[in-house]
Amino acid sequence: MSETHDDLERIAEAEEQWRRDVLEPRVKRFQLEQSPTRFYTPTANRDFDFLEKVGFPGQYPFTAGNNPFDFWRAHAEAGAKLGIRPDAPGGGGGAGRYSGYGTPEDYRDYQLRMQSLGSRGGPNVAFDLVTQCGYDSDSPNALGEVGRVGVALDSFRDFQVIYEAFTGERDIDKVASNFTINAPAAVIIAMYAALAEKRGIPLEKLRGTPQNDILKEFIARGTYIYPPGPSMRLFRDTLVFCRAQLPKLNVTSIGGYHIREAGATRIQDLAFSFAIGCAYLQAGVDAGLEIDDFAPMFTFNAFGGSMELYQEVAFQRAARRMWARLVKERFGARNPRGMMIRQPIAAHIGCTSTTLQRPLNNLARAMVGGVAGGMCGALPAAYPPFDEPLGLGHSLEAIQLQVDATRILIYEAGVADVNDPWAGSYFMESLTDETEAAAQAELDKIDGMGGAVAAIERGYMQRAIAKSAYERQKRIESQEELMVGVNCFTGEKELEVSVERAVEELYDPGQMATAEERQCAKLAELRRERDGKEVSRTLGALEASAKDEGANLMPDLIECVKSESTIQEICDVLRGVFGEAEPVKL
Amino acid sequence: MSSDRKIRVLVAKPGLDGHDRGARVVAYGLRDAGFEVIYTGLRQSPEQIAAAAVQEDVDVIGLSILSGAHLALTRKVFEKLEAEGAEDIPILVGGLIPEDDKSALQEMGVAEVFTAGTPISSIASFIESRIADA
Amino acid sequence: MERAWQELIDAVSGGERRALGRLITRVENREPGWQDAMKALYPRTGTARIVGITGPPGAGKSSLTNRIAAILLERGRRVGIIAVDPTSPFSGGALLGDRLRMRDVATASGIFIRSMATRGTLGGLCQGARDVARILDAAGHELVLIETVGVGQDEIEVVKAADLVVVVCVPGQGDGIQTLKAGIMEIADLFVVNKADREGADELVADIRSMLALSGDRDGEAPPVLETCALSGEGVDALVAALVERADRASSSRERTGARVREEILTLIERQLARLVRLRFGSDGRLDEAVRSVQGGEIDPYSAAEAILESLALVE
Repeated sequence: MSETHDDLERIAEAEEQWRRDVLEPRVKRFQLEQSPTRFYTPTANRDFDFLEKVGFPGQYPFTAGNNPFDFWRAHAEAGAKLGIRPDAPGGGGGAGRYSGYGTPEDYRDYQLRMQSLGSRGGPNVAFDLVTQCGYDSDSPNALGEVGRVGVALDSFRDFQVIYEAFTGERDIDKVASNFTINAPAAVIIAMYAALAEKRGIPLEKLRGTPQNDILKEFIARGTYIYPPGPSMRLFRDTLVFCRAQLPKLNVTSIGGYHIREAGATRIQDLAFSFAIGCAYLQAGVDAGLEIDDFAPMFTFNAFGGSMELYQEVAFQRAARRMWARLVKERFGARNPRGMMIRQPIAAHIGCTSTTLQRPLNNLARAMVGGVAGGMCGALPAAYPPFDEPLGLGHSLEAIQLQVDATRILIYEAGVADVNDPWAGSYFMESLTDETEAAAQAELDKIDGMGGAVAAIERGYMQRAIAKSAYERQKRIESQEELMVGVNCFTGEKELEVSVERAVEELYDPGQMATAEERQCAKLAELRRERDGKEVSRTLGALEASAKDEGANLMPDLIECVKSESTIQEICDVLRGVFGEAEPVKL
Repeated sequence: MSSDRKIRVLVAKPGLDGHDRGARVVAYGLRDAGFEVIYTGLRQSPEQIAAAAVQEDVDVIGLSILSGAHLALTRKVFEKLEAEGAEDIPILVGGLIPEDDKSALQEMGVAEVFTAGTPISSIASFIESRIADA
Repeated sequence: MERAWQELIDAVSGGERRALGRLITRVENREPGWQDAMKALYPRTGTARIVGITGPPGAGKSSLTNRIAAILLERGRRVGIIAVDPTSPFSGGALLGDRLRMRDVATASGIFIRSMATRGTLGGLCQGARDVARILDAAGHELVLIETVGVGQDEIEVVKAADLVVVVCVPGQGDGIQTLKAGIMEIADLFVVNKADREGADELVADIRSMLALSGDRDGEAPPVLETCALSGEGVDALVAALVERADRASSSRERTGARVREEILTLIERQLARLVRLRFGSDGRLDEAVRSVQGGEIDPYSAAEAILESLALVE
């Protein structure tokens, strides 16, 4: 795009002529008000500066990607010939596939089974809602939920049971652990540290990622406990502690994904994620940490996605550029590693794009996401598996199709062979600019309110998301937005293509049914066996520290977990000091 | 139905599941369909749901559950309603309900199960016809 | 009176909560016989103190109401709460979300929370809320809190149903007390600055006090301005004490209660008349005839109305 001013003028004139001579007559011929398609020319971005807007993969502003090729791409062809799954999680000692159910014993045994089937990674733990909300399995709040969406965990004893599957070659100094935990993240991190201590493993060796992204819980996922202010205090404590003691642990996994799934628009996803990211970065700065030291330990879970391929590619490009600029300019960072968005996948379609109706179509849909992802220099993950909306877990067939789809994109279509293939496209550069500008405007608005925490406290983000969700629903119901097989092409002549599913033999329904009972029995046993005085002492110390705004709670939490206080006992002490978050009225 | 009469619907999320997008969208939609929607939000215990249903004298209770705990929670809600003498209030369940569990819920007494993708207008008409028959 | 109504009233007196919910619905919907039911209920009323809680959105009224109720419940009092939200003028429906903030108290046996929509008619809310408050009174609730939305005219209307009006505001809402609607300064018996831990709280208290000094007093005494923090509970005990004391005083003032009774009787008459007019003249063809005459240019709307009224012998 190095046209001169004169060139652009000539192009503009030619475009005018084309409109008159070609476009408008065609529009008129088909009796339309306007063309259903658009065409972009150099006039769409007159001030395009390649080095400023795009640059090179692996260099600021990272529009074209974090690096010239990802780790999985390095030996992908060789791996294919050897039948290795370079795309599979758990390679290189990373965390394995996201999983969790039942009691800690059930989950430990599941992990051992997976290991015998070849799984290599560390635990990527889903906790049940009871644990995520800081309750014990025998709490009245736990009814029906124990061990359901993840593993039940009530105490350090339970944590150790899970890690009985991770010893020797798979000990915690050799494999990474991921924890999808937010409000009580500090407690889980404390358990991780206590485990290392017990096993004589230096804390510096621990790797992994706690999700530890509490702000998005208030607006999208709902597993919050304390109000935003005290929640940020806990975040600060985990950040400071981790930087000092567990330097290899990622501190947070910021989740725009959940925000979009909750109904946010693309722009809201981007702006709210970054507002939240900035709040976390600021917490580190306010605590006296060096931005260049801790920013590189921030990761992103993923942003949201949609079926709109072009827009999602533009989104990723804009996101990378915008985050880099924010970290550099707002926070004065100099370490490029802190300016990168580290996320396991880039563009994708999002789970809410999949449909319950004619589920096999979801494979075609996921393919679009894979293509978009590949064009963003990331794994072209054709995610999710087609049976996602059935709510029964992913079957073996669906997972195989998903993995093969991703492989087809890598090896047959070569989608990941070019970095940022859209760089320089008149259309894509203009769309990227628009996306970034719109997100920046929204971010400015939130800054004007005082930042993410203030915006959340006054309910701004929550109401904005609820409104967007409702507006989308109305668009779908009015057929303004079309979903094949859902609100169009649903007549009798359509075939309902079905396929047999064998649900992956992972989660034994028999175990699920008795999990609550068994876990409560163990809890009762724990309460009988442990030293009640020690429990009271450590909880008392925690309470005292909690009341001191400047104290870091991590050492006290480690003492609490070691004394076998339960998650709820610990969280209740903090509830007493911090209060509980109030829901926001619609 | 006199012109002053409005259909009152309780929309609640029992249990700990925090995904309230569906519940909110249905609440807005039913309001726009002319209903009075008592929206109680997240983390409603079965007691709170029954108390609300009785105090608000709702025509219909809507439960939204995506955590898989729908059978246990719905059963408990029925128990609590019975204790309040309100087991006649129809219950609708929405969220992430596998096909096989739908019959289990219906056997419990649930009036209807609405899965993802159901237009709000269908939910509204279902409620209206159910009330007209009552 | 119909047996069904009588049975319902008896069940309510017997403490049945389901019956109470049903009775409220039937009266709110103006089901035939509702007035006789209210007449039968009336002798059982008079014990409750009715407190209106109003103010701009975001002031934390629901949370404060929740706290007040919790304290009263602790003291063994029975509390009724009426939470009012606006009816959508487009659809006629409403989103009633105040229960969200009252989870702590919602299941206590001594409490009854009812959400009401304004249902669109000016003055309609007031009567509806008054009727429901009366029913809760008859059912033994010693304190009835009516929480209104704080936009539109409705928060002024609620005053007519309450012994006492509490206005809640919050610092940091831009214009300070300019955000309070016109007329609110006159109707408030008590001001609360909630979220008093926020910046600007002291200024807001001072602003309110100076406005009160300018606008003249009710009952010869300036309304107190209290500070609370609904989230932490700070200041709420003092608020409850002030509230209970003043509510008792207000309900025993013959002058105040007299003015409300007068207003209620007038409203009942007006509502009934308006209903009759629409029903009678709408159905006997005279209205249609008047419309035709006006459209045909034979007569203006003022004269058309007068002609109809003349038949009622109500022209001045």
